[in-house]
Amino acid sequence: MIREIITDVLLALAVLTVAAAALGVAVMPSAAARLHYVTPVAVVAPVLVLLAVFVTEGLDENTGETLLAVLVMIAAAPFLSHATIRAIRASENSGGNAGDKERA
Amino acid sequence: MTSFVIAAIAMLVALVPAGVVIVRGSLADAVVGFEFLTSVAVLVFALLAEGFKRPSLFEFPVLLAVLLLGSGLVFVRALERWL
Repeated sequence: MIREIITDVLLALAVLTVAAAALGVAVMPSAAARLHYVTPVAVVAPVLVLLAVFVTEGLDENTGETLLAVLVMIAAAPFLSHATIRAIRASENSGGNAGDKERA
Repeated sequence: MTSFVIAAIAMLVALVPAGVVIVRGSLADAVVGFEFLTSVAVLVFALLAEGFKRPSLFEFPVLLAVLLLGSGLVFVRALERWL
């Protein structure tokens, strides 16, 4: 019973984190500002999901594989954010957004 | 329906704003939306695998997490010229 309650609370926190980040991605004015809201989804929410799986299953194969996925996500997030913001900054410095002009 | 499945459905609903950003925003916004969407997809796969009690399905989130880095970097690099 206690385990179920803790799991539900952890999952609710994970969903709230994702929902808040989705709102941030939707309302922020620029890509650089939107990028900040990807980090909670790539770092905070996975840890909460991992804890929920751990509380439900204990130390077993499922928890191990979830841990692996979470570790990869946490390791990948900074590299990906850095590469993205670097591309956006380079574009701003060169007066960019040629793609949008082409698309329009 | 377990709480894991409910959480997965709620996270799928949270993808809608990112989808709108991808469709309506600039190319840079779309890249950020793609990264957001992929990160949530990893969580959804993990939640569904646990929710349906299918241990074999736990390989999807692991694979997708690895591909998240690769595809994201390739995507950003390839689109850098147009961002």
